[in-house]
Amino acid sequence: PRMAAAVGVNKQASAAAMESCVRHGRAAAGGTVKVLECGVCEDVFSLQGDKVPRLLLCGHTVCHDCLTRLPLHGRAIRCPFDRQVTELGDSGVWGLKKNFALLELLERLQHGASNQSGMSEDALGGAGERIIRCDEDENHIASMYCTVCATHLCADCSQLTHSTRTLAKHRRVPLADKPHEKTLCLQHQVHAIEFVCLEDACQPGPLMCCVCKEYGKHQGHKHAVLEAEANQIRASILDMAHCIRTFTEEISEYSRKLVGIVQQIEGGEQIVEDGIGMAHTEHVPGTAESARSCVRAYFADLHETLCRQEEMALSVVDAHVREKLIWLRQQQEDMTILLSQVSTACLHCEKTLQQDDCRVVLAKQEITRLLETLQKQQQQFTELADHIQLDASIPVTFTKDNRVHIGPKMEIRVVTLGLDGAGKTTILFKLKQDEFMQPIPTIGFNVETVEYKNLKFTIWDVGGKHKLRPLWKHYYLNTQAVVFVIDSCHRDRLMESHSELAKLLTEKELRDALLLIFANKQDVAGAVSVEEMTELLSLHKLCCGRSWHIQGCDARSGTGLHEGLDWLSRQLVAAGVLDVA
Amino acid sequence: MKHFLRVLMQFFLYLYCKCLWRSLKFVIRKMTGRCELQRICYNNKPGARRTLKIESSLKFSKTELLQSAVTVHPDSVEKTIEDIMNLKKINPDTNPQLGISLQASLLQIVGYRSLVAEVEKLRREPYDSENPEHEDLLLKLWKCLRPDAALKGRITKQWCEIGFQGSDPKTDFRGMGLLGLHNLLYFAEHDNATALQVLHDSLQPKHSKMSELEWEKKKFDKAIGYSFAIVGINITDLTYSLLVSGALKTHLYNVAPEMPTLAHFQQTFCYLMQEFHNFWTEEDPSDIMEFNCVRAKFHKRILKQLRNPNMALCPHFTASDHLINL
Repeated sequence: PRMAAAVGVNKQASAAAMESCVRHGRAAAGGTVKVLECGVCEDVFSLQGDKVPRLLLCGHTVCHDCLTRLPLHGRAIRCPFDRQVTELGDSGVWGLKKNFALLELLERLQHGASNQSGMSEDALGGAGERIIRCDEDENHIASMYCTVCATHLCADCSQLTHSTRTLAKHRRVPLADKPHEKTLCLQHQVHAIEFVCLEDACQPGPLMCCVCKEYGKHQGHKHAVLEAEANQIRASILDMAHCIRTFTEEISEYSRKLVGIVQQIEGGEQIVEDGIGMAHTEHVPGTAESARSCVRAYFADLHETLCRQEEMALSVVDAHVREKLIWLRQQQEDMTILLSQVSTACLHCEKTLQQDDCRVVLAKQEITRLLETLQKQQQQFTELADHIQLDASIPVTFTKDNRVHIGPKMEIRVVTLGLDGAGKTTILFKLKQDEFMQPIPTIGFNVETVEYKNLKFTIWDVGGKHKLRPLWKHYYLNTQAVVFVIDSCHRDRLMESHSELAKLLTEKELRDALLLIFANKQDVAGAVSVEEMTELLSLHKLCCGRSWHIQGCDARSGTGLHEGLDWLSRQLVAAGVLDVA
Repeated sequence: MKHFLRVLMQFFLYLYCKCLWRSLKFVIRKMTGRCELQRICYNNKPGARRTLKIESSLKFSKTELLQSAVTVHPDSVEKTIEDIMNLKKINPDTNPQLGISLQASLLQIVGYRSLVAEVEKLRREPYDSENPEHEDLLLKLWKCLRPDAALKGRITKQWCEIGFQGSDPKTDFRGMGLLGLHNLLYFAEHDNATALQVLHDSLQPKHSKMSELEWEKKKFDKAIGYSFAIVGINITDLTYSLLVSGALKTHLYNVAPEMPTLAHFQQTFCYLMQEFHNFWTEEDPSDIMEFNCVRAKFHKRILKQLRNPNMALCPHFTASDHLINL
């Protein structure tokens, strides 16, 4: 682990070095030392433990770990590099000698590395400049550079070494203005590199001296002056650095935003200044919390509504039961009275029977009157019994809006509207009597009740004549559903239907009414299909936000009519009730 | 007990009809020496009273010839009468009047049936805008009702002026077919003055019982009035149902000396139109929405009137005078 830490430091140091290189425009060979790695696993050797270097007989060095993994040939192992055999003693791999020379080197390198890293940290801690020592005295810090001697000197040493007449002529410049060292050409050692080749083919080694340029491998190639090219590259690096800086800013801005959003979602404490300038922390709810509270509020509201509706329904049932019981008790009382009356009459009769003839004759009139009243009462009683069926059951149905309805049939008020000749009356009579008849134009209205399943529809069919349409509004009151009939085979009147329907939908009284649209006369060839009608009248847009349904139908045969009523009942009655009934 | 009594009553009634009535008839026949038909003819004035009785007598007769007499073809009425006379052994020389009376009554009965068929056929014929004859009738109607205004086109809003629902009257004839158009045209042609008056009144409804202020308030609803043409079609329906139900027999047997014709039917229509208009004005409904209610009331009233066998629904216009023969 120490080694790893050292390597880490090393890397940091090299990064710092590279940074300064960029700044100073100096090339540096910052590679890692390959010698210190095991040739098999390529891990760095360590001073002890698994990665200790051990010597084989052939002279190669392999780490302990890799040696243990090598296959055994009897009591010997083969070198992974040249396959020479090394005999192992009783202690196996542990018996092999460590490579002490390598270990020493390793130790020393580690020291150097830590020194170097400390130094570079110093350098970084300063003005970011590398401290250059005086070449005359290690303890001095150089401040100038002699261009002739190519030495770094401090002011004192410069004075000292260049005190002679000849040497005093040496041009000495401040360290900052020190000219760059000229790199010499690899092929022509006497010439400095002065040019850069611009050919694509030479990109791996573009540097050249004047000889290379004129006579060597870059003869005739396009070229540029080294300094200019270097400056250009520097400039582009600077540009790039600028770009990177803005990019970094963008990234950090974005991450800041992310943090902000996370905070907004989570919520938390926030310091808020109140009116008198006192700062105190305040809990700010996050969006997550407010969403949760919204859900909670909605369901609380729902619970409340449900509770209220339940109360209401129960009170309706209670009222019904109370009324019924009161009525029944009343009946009971009446019956008791009747019974007593009848028995008194009987008694009277019996008494008269036992009396003598004269009295009987005298009582005749009274007895007749008594018998008459009795007969009348009997008649009333039988009529009553015929009229009223005694039934203990209390049938209950629920509407979609959770109201309770007591009684065998639920009554629903429906208004049928539409243009003249659309087939409103035909539909009504088809539903009522299941027979098709060509009706005459309706003046005023027709009203019929139609029973379907456990519903009792009271259908008001209002004439569609143009002049009657303003009167439709008198029939809206307490209407639970509007049935709008359209003649599907009369294309040129569709727009008129559309405008009437649009007018209807704006009526305040019909805001909550269901809308059932009958596309009538589907049996006639060339009739507008239901889909096309929906499209043509843009019903989705027109009926947005209310419950509506379009049903193709044919009043002649009656197809589709009951499907329409089914839809109406499904909308009006709570789910499941229809099946129960 | 009560139920049992009811059943017993029905049983006796049945017995009476089956046996007693027949034996009673037999006894009377023997006593007076006249058959039932003779008795009816001699005891009743010509008209609905006589014809109705003859009709029921024929219908309930046990002889097949008499039963089928009511459904016989008009052309063979004479021969049927002869057969009946032979069957009943009535000497035509001693009873010269009987044959003529019987024939007239039978013609009325048979004619009524054929009139129903004729009217039904007309009703079933839908208005066809491709048919030039139909179109001519329609245009003629316009000319009679609006002699001053020219029609701007076949399909125009002007039709609403004479009380059709939309710009094409064709759609309004659906239930009554050509019958509606024929009736309207007959009314407009033969009793033009009344028709124009009714049309005029329907366009400007009276506000008899209301003060000026009240009228202003209700103006909108009231102004709708009732529409001449479709009211005509509705009254056609009323007349038609009266005819089919047999209620019009009283009137037609009284009015028509022999076979009732379509003209008689149409005159009845004219009369009912006129009467209905008067009835409507009397009722003074607050708006058109009460139409069906008023119509039902009117229907009831007419039915009640027709129960009187002397009743005749006679239109009061000169053109029809020659047809009425009491």
